[in-house]
Amino acid sequence: MSRRETAVTWVVLLAAFLAAWSLASATLPVPPYFLPPPTAVAAAFVDLVAKGILPVYVMESLGRILLAAAVALVIAVPLGLLLGMSRGVADFMYPILNFFQSVSGIAWLPLMLVWFGFGEKTILIAVNYTVIFPVLFNALLGVRSVPRIYVNALRTLGGSRWRIVRDVMIPGALPNIATGMRLGLAYGWRALIAAEMLVGANGLGFMIFSAQSFHLTARIMLGMAVIGALWLLLDYFVLRPVEAATIARWGLVQR
Amino acid sequence: MRPWLSTARGALPFVVLVAAWAAVSGAGVMPAMFLPGPGDVARTGWEMAKDGSLWVNIGASLGRVLLGVVISVPMAVAAGIVVGLNRRLASVLEPVASFFNALSGIAWLPLAITWFGLGWASVTFILWNTIFFLVFFNTLVGVRTVPRIFEQAVRTLGGARRHVILQVLLPGAMPSIVTGLRMSIGFGWRALIAAEMIATTTGLGFLIFNAQNFHQTDAILAGIITIGILWLLTDRLVLQPLERWTIERWGLVSSS
Repeated sequence: MSRRETAVTWVVLLAAFLAAWSLASATLPVPPYFLPPPTAVAAAFVDLVAKGILPVYVMESLGRILLAAAVALVIAVPLGLLLGMSRGVADFMYPILNFFQSVSGIAWLPLMLVWFGFGEKTILIAVNYTVIFPVLFNALLGVRSVPRIYVNALRTLGGSRWRIVRDVMIPGALPNIATGMRLGLAYGWRALIAAEMLVGANGLGFMIFSAQSFHLTARIMLGMAVIGALWLLLDYFVLRPVEAATIARWGLVQR
Repeated sequence: MRPWLSTARGALPFVVLVAAWAAVSGAGVMPAMFLPGPGDVARTGWEMAKDGSLWVNIGASLGRVLLGVVISVPMAVAAGIVVGLNRRLASVLEPVASFFNALSGIAWLPLAITWFGLGWASVTFILWNTIFFLVFFNTLVGVRTVPRIFEQAVRTLGGARRHVILQVLLPGAMPSIVTGLRMSIGFGWRALIAAEMIATTTGLGFLIFNAQNFHQTDAILAGIITIGILWLLTDRLVLQPLERWTIERWGLVSSS
């Protein structure tokens, strides 16, 4: 299918979808707040942008997830690499990290609420926790999955310990780290929305959850569209290209 | 290595972890109300197990996940194959599916509550959203990666369309479907815990969130540990073996 055909198909489908939605919200025998028409969602968009609420909430949510990503890169990646260097330490840490990775940050939220109260700190800790553990776990796994033969080869050629770390272990772990970052941020974005719902005073999660109490369904739908679109942009333009480039550049292909 | 020795080695990290926890809570850095020791948590867990409330909540959470899987997976696989048969439709619907993947889970909760109210219908709707779109997307991708030559071979030998579907596309897509299933249950389980905190009065998510209202940190920790163990058991004993077995049985190895 040519580019032009794809574009035409898309426009037709989108128009059909919007038409069906408008028709359903006009004819279905349900209260108006059940299914507001697309125009109401557009109006909510214009309204919230004009009042400056939507841009602020988007920046709050994005800021929180980007902070967690930065913390994961600066702290979790080096720590995971370090723990993976020694087989004994890695064997010891593996089950523990696996356990913490599999308990989602949201499950810790009640405990964080008791410890830190309803506030920014609790949200940040829950989100950082959710992002950090998959990254840490995968960095460790990445170092351990580098075949021994490469280490031995460099040793045989007289490479120092530092050379082995720099030229074998870190590049060898990079594909796993990229995968870990993508998975961690995917879990983290969802945990952020949930934490903002339960704790928040701002952010997209808070926006859609508080709108529910007032039956502002158009605002909920708008928030959902923004949440989905932001994640897609992040995934398509940042995370996927980085992961693909890392695997293409440093991925170890076994023959 | 003898079996008991390897079990002991596997348990060692957790023994050290629990010992460290006992040391920190015993040292009195934080009041016991904030960080109860392992003994208190075990006692609370045992009491909840004895009076049956723990089992009721475990049953509610597992039952919801199971219901979500039973409803969503057949729909998702069927839809994925039907769409995958048509290249044109597939290339149009793939981005739609990835949009809903990006949205899956907890973001649906406010809308679900508006439509279905608090309760099991909302939770099931959220699980359906999480599981359906991931499995649908993976089925679609799986069907599309089956080399056309297999389809053409069956066709050449006089096979009908249903032979192509049942004997080429479905088995060929199996590894991708099962990987999608494993991922979707991982995301679904997390979404469920969050949804139970808000929308229900049973389940492990409700258990820990309700305990928070009364500052019962021992019950919260017992709940968290239960959640972790349940997921590890499901993943180790069901999902990982299923994935490995599927790849061994149906994985396409190209001998080039």
